[in-house]
Formats: sequence, C-alpha cells, structure tokens
Amino acid sequence: MSKNLSDLARRKGLEKNLFEELGKAAVQTGTPELDEMAKLCDEFLVGKSTVYGTVSFYDFLRPENKGKKVYVCNGSACLTAGTQTELKTKLRSKFSAQEVGEMCCLGRCHENSAFHVNGTNYSGSDIDSIDSICKKDHHTKELYHVGSIGTPILTIAQPPVEEYYKIYEKVIATDPLVCLAELKDSGLRGRGGAGFSMAFKLESCRNVEDDMKFIVCNADEGDPGAYSDRYVMEQRPHALLMGMMIAGYITGASVGVVYIRGEYPESVTIISDAIKLLHDKKFLGNNILGTNFNFDFKVIKAQGAYICGEETALLSSIEGQRPEVRVRPPYPTQKGLFNKPTVVNNVETLANLPFIMQNGGKKYASIGTAKSTGTKLISLDGHFNRPGIYEADMGTSLRVIIDELGGGFRHPIKAMHIGGPLGGLVPLAKIDSLTVDFDSFAKEGFLLGHASVVCIPEDYPLIDYIEHLFRFTSHESCGKCFPCRLGSTRGYEMIDKARNTDYKMDRQLMDDLLETLETGSLCALGGGLPLPIKNALKYFDSELAPYFKK
Amino acid sequence: MGKTAYINDQLFEIQDGETILSFVRRHIGKDIVPTLCDAPNLDPFGACRVCSVDVALVKDGPAKAQASCHTPVIGGSFIYTDSERIKRLRKNIIELVLTDHPLDCLTCEVNNNCELQTVAAKVGIRDVRYPAGKNHLDKKKDLSHPYMTSDFSKCINCGRCVRACDEVQGEMVLSMAGRGFDSHIVKSFNDNFFESDCVSCGACAQACPTSAISDVFESKSIVADKKVRTICTYCGVGCNLDVAVVDGKVKSIQAPFDAEVNQGHTCLKGRYAFSFYNHVDRLTTPLIRKNGKLEPVSWDEAYDFIADKLTSIKATYGPDSISGISSARCTNEENYLMQKFFRAVIGTNNIDSCARVCHSPTAMGMQRAFGTGAATNSVIDLNYTDAIMIIGANPTDAHPVTGAKLKQFAMKGKTTIVIDPRRTEIARYATHHLQLKPGTNVALLNMMLFYIASSGLEDKKFIESRTEGYDDFKKQILSIDIDQMEKITGVDRNLVKDAAMSYAKAPNAMSYHGLGVTEHSQGSYTVMLISDLAMITGNIGRRGVGVNPLRGQNNVQGAADMGCQPHQGAGYLNSYDPEINKLYESFYGRKIPIGKGLKIPEMYDASIAGNLKAMWLMGEDLVQTDPNTTVVIAAMKNLELLVVQEIFMTETCHYANVILPAATFFEKSGTFTNGERRIQRVQKVVEPIAGTKSDGDIMVDILNKMGYPQAPYDPDTMLQEISKIVPFFAGVTWQNLAENGKQWPVLPDGTDTEILHIDTFKRGLGKFHYFDWKESEELVKNGKQYPYIVTTNRELEHYNAGTMTRRTGNVDILTEDVIMIHPQDAATHFIEEGDMVCVESPRGKVDIKAKITDEVKQGVLSTTFHFPDLTLNMITSSERDSEAMCPEYKIVAVNIRKSKGKYKEKV
Repeated sequence: MSKNLSDLARRKGLEKNLFEELGKAAVQTGTPELDEMAKLCDEFLVGKSTVYGTVSFYDFLRPENKGKKVYVCNGSACLTAGTQTELKTKLRSKFSAQEVGEMCCLGRCHENSAFHVNGTNYSGSDIDSIDSICKKDHHTKELYHVGSIGTPILTIAQPPVEEYYKIYEKVIATDPLVCLAELKDSGLRGRGGAGFSMAFKLESCRNVEDDMKFIVCNADEGDPGAYSDRYVMEQRPHALLMGMMIAGYITGASVGVVYIRGEYPESVTIISDAIKLLHDKKFLGNNILGTNFNFDFKVIKAQGAYICGEETALLSSIEGQRPEVRVRPPYPTQKGLFNKPTVVNNVETLANLPFIMQNGGKKYASIGTAKSTGTKLISLDGHFNRPGIYEADMGTSLRVIIDELGGGFRHPIKAMHIGGPLGGLVPLAKIDSLTVDFDSFAKEGFLLGHASVVCIPEDYPLIDYIEHLFRFTSHESCGKCFPCRLGSTRGYEMIDKARNTDYKMDRQLMDDLLETLETGSLCALGGGLPLPIKNALKYFDSELAPYFKK
Repeated sequence: MGKTAYINDQLFEIQDGETILSFVRRHIGKDIVPTLCDAPNLDPFGACRVCSVDVALVKDGPAKAQASCHTPVIGGSFIYTDSERIKRLRKNIIELVLTDHPLDCLTCEVNNNCELQTVAAKVGIRDVRYPAGKNHLDKKKDLSHPYMTSDFSKCINCGRCVRACDEVQGEMVLSMAGRGFDSHIVKSFNDNFFESDCVSCGACAQACPTSAISDVFESKSIVADKKVRTICTYCGVGCNLDVAVVDGKVKSIQAPFDAEVNQGHTCLKGRYAFSFYNHVDRLTTPLIRKNGKLEPVSWDEAYDFIADKLTSIKATYGPDSISGISSARCTNEENYLMQKFFRAVIGTNNIDSCARVCHSPTAMGMQRAFGTGAATNSVIDLNYTDAIMIIGANPTDAHPVTGAKLKQFAMKGKTTIVIDPRRTEIARYATHHLQLKPGTNVALLNMMLFYIASSGLEDKKFIESRTEGYDDFKKQILSIDIDQMEKITGVDRNLVKDAAMSYAKAPNAMSYHGLGVTEHSQGSYTVMLISDLAMITGNIGRRGVGVNPLRGQNNVQGAADMGCQPHQGAGYLNSYDPEINKLYESFYGRKIPIGKGLKIPEMYDASIAGNLKAMWLMGEDLVQTDPNTTVVIAAMKNLELLVVQEIFMTETCHYANVILPAATFFEKSGTFTNGERRIQRVQKVVEPIAGTKSDGDIMVDILNKMGYPQAPYDPDTMLQEISKIVPFFAGVTWQNLAENGKQWPVLPDGTDTEILHIDTFKRGLGKFHYFDWKESEELVKNGKQYPYIVTTNRELEHYNAGTMTRRTGNVDILTEDVIMIHPQDAATHFIEEGDMVCVESPRGKVDIKAKITDEVKQGVLSTTFHFPDLTLNMITSSERDSEAMCPEYKIVAVNIRKSKGKYKEKV
C-alpha cells in the first residue's frame, strides 16, 4: 500500500476513479490495452507500473482474462456437489477452451452447476438452456429457501420505502450520540468474520476530526459457500443502504461506498437501482430532509480477488492500488480510504442498524446470547434438503438449523465446512456441541465466520478437499507476506504430489508449515487456512494418514 | 520516567508511538531482531514477518507473535525476541524463502553483504525440506541499462525497491505485479530498465537486500579497499556520497543513510555519473599556445610564463587590466585563494564567479530585502511546512534529491504552487500551476501581492514589528492594473488569486526559486518580490517558512561567501568601503584595492573595448555557457593572456594561451557549501591522475610564485585562515564539520544555524520593495520580428554544458538536446516530431530536433544546452539583470521553421 497513491486517488475522488476506469477499459476484450492504461497513468498521475500492477492482480482484468466469455464456478460447494465437470463439458460444446474461465464463487451454492455468461449468473438446470442463454433470451429462475427461527430481523418482509425510511427520518433528527448509545446497547458485532464491536468502530471513527470520512460496505462476499450478503443486497437492499446512512450519520461521514464483488452482477444492479430510488425520494444528497446531514453513495463493482474481502485490501482496491493487505496501525478508522477516517463493515452487520434504531439497542441485545447478540444469517448449500438462507437467533443449536431449517442432508455427509474456506471443518459428531454464535464455535476450535455451510459428502476424499483449500489460498493470496505467498503454494504442491504420486508428506514439515502460516501471516487468509487443515488432520486422521510418512 | 515495557524481562523506557522493532533496536542493538523487508528510509511494510517477536501482556501470560516492524509497543508488555516459537517461525519462513532462491551465494555479487544470507545464517538454516516446486529461478537478467541491472531470480518480494521508488523518489516505475506466488517486480509496463520510465536514481538498487536489483558498478559488493565519504559536485543540494575505491580507482558510489542532507538517497549524476574523472579526455599536462598551437609544457614553464605575462601586463596596463573568474564547482578554499590572489597579489577587484550567471540576483535581492543573500531555511523545513511555492525552478531535473522531496510533498496533495511557463514534473502534481508567459514573473507576483494586500490577509503584526517600507509598498501594489497584468502574464486572475490566498492562509509557507527567477532582466526585482511575499505573510524566521533559492552549482553559495565577486570580499564585506579595506589590508598583509571591479559581462565589454588584457578562469567554460557566444568569443580573442584551469578541453580552452590541468573533486579535499548554507567536507577519494593538480594547489603555487607566501593547500589550515576573516565561518574547523557539516553562520563555539532571521533581520528590519513590471528589452526590440520565445531549461541526466556528464553513461540515457514545441505551433510550421527545426534569433541560428508537447504553451519553446555541438548560446542575447547583471538566458526572441538542406539531418 502506498500513502502517495492513496493521496493521489483522493485528489481524483470517487466519481471517476482509476479502479472503475480500468474495469471499463477491460470490458471489450477482458483486459485493458496498454495505450488505454498509459492514458490513465497520465490522467491519474500514477506510474505505469502502478496500473500494470493493479491490472495484473485481478482475475477479470489481468491479461490472462483476455478472450474469456464464460466462467465456471469453482467454489467449494459446487466442487463438493461434483456438478462442474459435467457443466464444463456442456459449455465446451459452445465455447473453446480459451473462452472458458473460472470464478470463485457465484453464490449459487444452493443449486450448484453455477456459471457466468455475459454479466449474468446461472445455476441449477440453466445449463440445459445454454443455447438460449447465448442468444440472451433465457431468464434464470433462481430459487432458494428463506426462513427463520426466533426473531426475524433480516428475513422479515420489508415495508414500502417511504414507510421503512421513517426509521431514518427519526435517526437524522436525533443526536448522533444517542444513536451511538443505542448501538452500544445492542452489542452488535461484525458479521464479516472477526466479530468486532461495531459501536467501537463507529465511535473511534467519529472521534477522529476530519471533514472527509467514509462508510464502506464490504460486499465482497468471497467465501465460497456464503451467499447471505447477496441475499441481503438483492432481497433487502434498503436494510443495508439505510444501515450505511445511519452509520454515516453517527460518524460524520457523508459518503458511503458499496464495494460489491464482480461475481454478483445482480447485486450491483439491485443496489444501484435502490440508490436511485433513494435519490428520487430525497433521502440522499445535501441537507437531507432539511437537516445538516449530507450523504450519498458510490457503488463499485469489483474485479475478482478474494483478498478484497480483507478490509484494508478492499480500501486499496477502491483507490486503484494493488489490493495488498496493509499493516495496522493505522486502522481504517484513523486512516482508511484515501488516508481518511473510514468505517468498513460487512453487509449483514450494517443491515442490522435499522432494526436497532427502530427498536432500541436493548431490544436487539435481548435476542441471542449475552456475547453474541441478535441473529445470524446462515447459508446452506445444495447438500441440504432445503438449501437456502436462514436467520436464527444467536445461540440456536446447530442441530436445529440442520434438521429443522435445512431439512437434514440429502445424502450422507461426513463433515461440514462452516464459516468459509478459513472456517473450521466440523465433523458430524460435533454437531450437538455447537450453537450458532461466536463463542460456542471458538470454544470447540471452529469459527462461526460468515456462517456458511458447505457439506463434504461421505464419499468425497478429504485429501481432495484440503488440496482445494490450499489451492484456493495460493490462488487468492495477495502475495505480500512471505508465509502466505510461499507457504500456501508449497502446501498445495506437497498435497498435490502426495495425492498423485507415491510421495509421502512429512508430518513435521506440515505442522511447521501450518504453524508458520498461523503465527506468521499478515492477515486472516494465510493465518486462517491452518484451522480447517488442522481440523481435518485431527478428525480424519485415518483417512489422511496414508498420505504421510509413517 | 514515562511508559515502559520489558524486553526479555528487562525494563526499558518507550518513546511515544515507537514500534517494537525500534524499541528493541534502540535499547538492545540493531541486529537482535532480524528483518528483510524493513529499511531505514522506508515505512514499515510487514511483509517478511521474520521480525516477529512474542508479546505477552502479563509476565508468563499467553504470548502472541507480532511483527515488530509495524506493531507499536504497548506499555507494560513483555517482549521476547528469541522464544523457541519465534526462532522456529523465523527459520521456517527463511526455509520457505530459500525454496525460491538460487543457492549460488559464492558467485553472487553481494556475497557477504546480502541480507538474506545474513538472516539465513542467523536463524540457522541447514536444509530445505520441501519438494521442488514452482519457482522464479529462470528469470532472465536485465542488462539493458547503462547503470541499472536486475536479476529477479534473486528477488525475495520484500517490496523495498517498490517502496523506495515510491516513498523516496516518487517515481512509481517499479511495482509488484501478478498475485500470490506469481507476484513479481515489474518496471513500467513490464519493460526492461532502459525502456521503462526509470530515472536511474538507484534508490531501488540501494534498497534491495539481495542482488535482485543492482547496478553495473556492483555497488553492494563488499570488494572495496576503502570507502570515503565526500560531497557530490553536481548541484547545490550537496548530497553525501560513500565512494568505494578499489586499486586506487573509484569503483562505485552509495548514499549514506545517516547523511542529514540526503538520507541515503541521491540521483543518477551523484551515484553513477563518475566515470568522467578518469576519462581519456582528461587534460594531463600544462599547455602553452606557441605559434597558435597548444604545446605540452612543464608546470614550471607554465607558471613562469603566466607570472611573467601577468607582471608585464600589470606593469603596462595596471592591475585592473586583469580579471579572474572562479568556479562554483571548486571548493571554498580554492575560491578563497583565487580572490585572495586577485586582490592581494594582482591588486584588483576584477574577480567574479559563475554565481554571476545564475544566482547573483538572489544574492542581490535577498541582501536588499533581508540583509543576507542566502536561503533563510533548510531542506528539512519541508517536514514542517503547509504550503510551498516553486517559482522558476524545475527541481526534479535540476536538484533531484530536493526535487524528490518536493514531489513527495506535492503528491500528498498539500498546497503546492508552481509558477513556471512549462508544465514541469512538479507542476503536474501541484495544486496550483500558474503557467505564465516567460518574462512576466514580476507581473504575476505583483498580482499575488495585490490580492493578499487587498484581502486583509497580511500578517500585520509581522509587518509592523519586523519590516519597513510597507505603507509605500501597499500604496503602489494596490494601484496595479489587474486587467493589464492578467493579459501580460496570460494567467487567469482567479487562478492567481486562489494561489495567493492559499499561500497567505497557510500557517507556514515556504518558497523555492531557481534560475527561472534570476536569469531575467528583472531577476533581482523578482527575488525582492518573493521576499515581499514572505514578509507580507509573516513567513520568515521559523520552521517551515522562508525564501529558499535552489542553488545550481554545488558551491555557488560558497564562491560568493568566499568573496569571488567584485563588490564584496571574503565574508560579504563591502570591498569598496575604506574601513573594510583596512581590515582586509591588515589581514592579507598587502595593499588591497578599493576601486570597483568588473562583473563577468563587464569583463567582455572591457576586453572588446581593449581595456582588459588578461583573464584567468578557474574551471569556467565561458564560450559554451555564457550567452551570445559571438560576443564572448570576440572578448576571448581580444585578450593578451587567457589562462584556463580545466579538467577537459572545453570550448573556451580553444582560445586559451595557457591551460593548467586541474583535478576533479574526487582527487582533492576541501569544503563545499550547499544551498542551505551547509559547509560540508569534500574528502580526497583517489590521488589526482598523473600530471594534474588541484585548483587549490595551483592557486597556492601561483601565489608563491608571484611573491605571496602561502602555506601548501590543506583544507584544515585553509579553514583556520578563512574562519578568521569570514565572520560566519568563525567556529568552523575541519574537525568539527564532521560527517554532516555545519550551516552558517557558525558561532565561535561551533554552534550552527538552521534558520536565519529568527528575531531580527541581518539588515535590522526587512525591507519591502515594489517594482513595476517591464517588458524585456529583448522582446521590445525583437519581439515583432521574432515572435516566439525560447526559454532554456535542464534535463535530469546532464549537468550544464555536459562537460562531465557527457563523459559518463548518462550520454547513453539522454543523447541529445531537443526543443519543445506546442502542437499548434508545430502544425503552423509543418514541423513533425523529430524534425530538425531552425531556430533563429537576431544574433544567429541553430538547428535543434523538435519534441512536440503541450508542456509548453503556444508561442513558447524550451530547450537545453547540454550538448556543445548545438551551440545554443549563438542565439541567446546580451540582455541582463538590471541590478546583478545576470544574463537573461530565459528569454530569447526567435523565429522557427523546418531546417533546410544539410541541417535537416542531425550532425
């Protein structure tokens, strides 16, 4: 990360920014041409290498993306569902090998067979309509279950906008400190994975004096298996947008940036349309509803890099820099976007704010457990009888989620990967020890994370799965810190060799590698990979033993 | 005692905001915690993680591994630098690094000076357990560039080069590309060094912990007999250089990190352009012109010849028929000796230096405004200022290290006002670029002063207590005709007003100026108006403010300090004042002249008029560098004796009667005074090549030869003499200058001065001056017939007439002079990129290759004169600053057309 590049990006602002310009320049062929890049360097006062370095980072900008026309989802859920080989074969009848790329993941974990053509995602049986998809006269009919147990906050039907935004009207007529106090009372913790107190974040940003501050929504839901943020954006967009506006009001920020992953084109459209509506209703702009409050949005569509879900990488991404993880301090609330105080929160977290403002922090805190208040959205994959998005009070037992909401498994499975690729690998035997909240998972040596559930069928080789996790990490590693850049690749190579040749891994070396990743990595990507691997080695020791030296 | 924390169970005090790494280094030592991605002049990066340490919040409590380079120390915490876990972590990281690094240490250029090697040895790596996998070992070396090299098979992805290019130089030529394991360094668009936008500063090479980026001189190799610290001779920044010597020859140069001036940075001239010093073209024997031909002679014969000739000319025509020009490239001691020779032995004040043709208006203007003709502040003040104004200076090319710092400032989006007819590199990043018509500085500054004076933004308290003449000044400035000034400058009044308001409203504002201010007929006036701007806003006498000329030559400050100007002797004492004269007479022990001496342009006039018979030049190429070459040559030809001390056969040497082969700065000791008044030690790195003598030795020889007993040239004894007559050198000794020098005035106790005029001005009260803008006579006389204006500029790669830089690899980087032409003007004359253009002024014509660019406005052309075959000064005029007689290089009225006939091809 470069302070200079952040400052230079600030000068140009968000309206026309380098990152989006590069995206536009890539639309034609899949990667920007050099002369186009040279013009942008001149305009944005950055070096050629800066732009080259950025372009070469992203899956959908890099030169290798040139000529790609269709992308196959290679996320964990589609992988364990085993649908993608057949899907690829079918696609190859219409596209050459060079035209088929990969995306990870499209968030169609509930029905798999996911792929992306012409800016639209398809899944389930859509592939059978590939001819009409190519002719652009096929409309995908995505269906997944939505339900709840306990108090529905994010799954409850949203009233019409005017009525819903009464909450907002009330908020901006209230002292921001009162709103902050409600938030404190709510005990709301970030849903992005780390579980950090949201009130604390907002307060520290509020306390930095600056006339330029930002609320950034991390809508880069990159965890394969998770699609709850996509659900919020596409089904409850106003809960998110109002949440950001409230956060802006509390902190004194007047710009909200929704950074949405490129793999979710529908979310981008729906959020953009919702913002337009808010403009029409005069809920955005300057002196909103006659108050001193100013707020507006910028939607940014990402270009394919899992690491952008890490908040500092996300900020660099918006600035057109390479999204490499930054060191802390400074924290984003001190120096975030454009070196200005910034709150970065996940979609689901922000979407809880309207409820808290409407019903009070205490009411929210009364839902869930003492340390994990409120509800949690859970994504269930296609291995369940009723795959979909479910909302449960924090503290609900995992068994209830699986059986009552998900309707149990469609076929025998041996483990669930919960909380994304860096979450724990939960063996069936552990189901009854877990409740859906931060502490229960931590106590049992797992991670609630984003509460996505990807099942690993009984007959799915664990060695394949841990190879997938290493490969995923090595593909998505930003490459900045040594342990992750080198370790994820070396780990992948070792497992690949053990899986495909008579090479046997050295357990000591594997343990050393995992320890190095866990204690040495700069961020949670390299630092988090060891958890599921260690779970696998612990709970599926006998299945994996043959791959190690005796 | 403030906050404390434990390191390995020992209690130490924490400095506010410090990282664990700096805390440990400060208390236990530099090498306790290994690092790879950390560098002294770069921000913490947190990539390598080998600096990790264990941190517990209670004794024997649970510890967390933390990267010490970017983690602040927590008060009361327990830091363990070498726990078993940490040792294992470091070793395991290095093992991973070595899976993708060639194991050819013994044949590597940085063997025994490689940070990876050192850390690997320290953590005790024995073997690499991973099976062979993907790697970057087949990356090809990049040997495309005259200086820079890379071998990315050796790269460990620490990002130091990228950060050096960004945080130090501000160039962003290097970046990481790709991601994950594929991450790799690229130059520009994945070009090689030569094709990239690299400015060859070498910061990346110095930052690289291995040999992944290096230079052709292998400057990180430990093969050196010795390293000598000296001062760069290329510009007024005064970078400290560590010069490695092998077998009595300069091997390579690096920039010391502990140098206060340049903090481990320097530019391609300082770092790489040194091979001129033992170039085959060096003059190695004295030469005397016999029957029209220069013939080698012994030193004795040369001295005899000169002494006889000077004695007889003096006897026949009087001492004022002889003049000397010293060199701002030479040391203080050498300059001092030369003026001493002219005043005490020849008996004339006809002594001047090349400061005349660059910053004489600065000295004149600032002396009139403040009392001292030198930078009021220091470069470090940039860290404390809120706004900078850069007028008539192109620091990223001409003062690269200060330029890089200014660019860093501008890149941050802080208030940066650039007043320049060209869109220079720094102007691209400026918040305000006032792209005025050349020759209208006075009009533009008057507009700024008008807006400040009329908007009540003056610092009334400062004006009241520290200055005089404001009321008159204000009356005059408020009566200027803004409509007219706007038309004259060609700059929208609102832009000017915005810039003026930004400058006035900044809590602390600094100004920098260069030759674009001084080399004008109203040069001294412009300097006084810049001083007005500083005074009207109270920006004088504290950190982060002031008027700061960017000195062109390495010792242009010193040449004037030492008295190489007719009206002021050593220490700026008035040489026309009878009282001072007595002081000088008693000090030098000789009759000292009191009559007016000639300034350089007057010397030409005097020679052509037949009144000047002899000239002695110390390292000055008048024919190549002074304006209106025809006149200069006529003046040279008219002399009876022209003595030139030189290192190369310059254009001027062709007119010399005697040439004395001098030594380069690598071959001598002494002091240079940089643009921030810092007197620094130049230390002999190698012995002078055979047949040459230092300019100091030459001056001592001739002093003795002509009857003045002068001790052998030695900077220590010379400084003892100088410190007795130059008041602001009072406390200077060779010893106490130490590594980082001292900024004058240096008090007798050795205390030096970073900031001038803190409580009172040197002249008592600061003086406001008002001047009307006046069109240059060059344009008044010739503007109609010659409607274009050529203004001269510099390129990074070459220094002045290129005498030195053209004899280095720099000539392979920038190969020729070009003339910048606006696309519209080019179209009007059917000129295309690369065409030769005939540029004709009332004095002559030259042919230059066209570079079509909108860096210049329509009607304005800009070119360099680094290559002598261009003979640009054939077209420049004899117009000069009304006060200081600095030539007006920046305004030449010309006409252009496509070159014809044989001139269509570059010679």
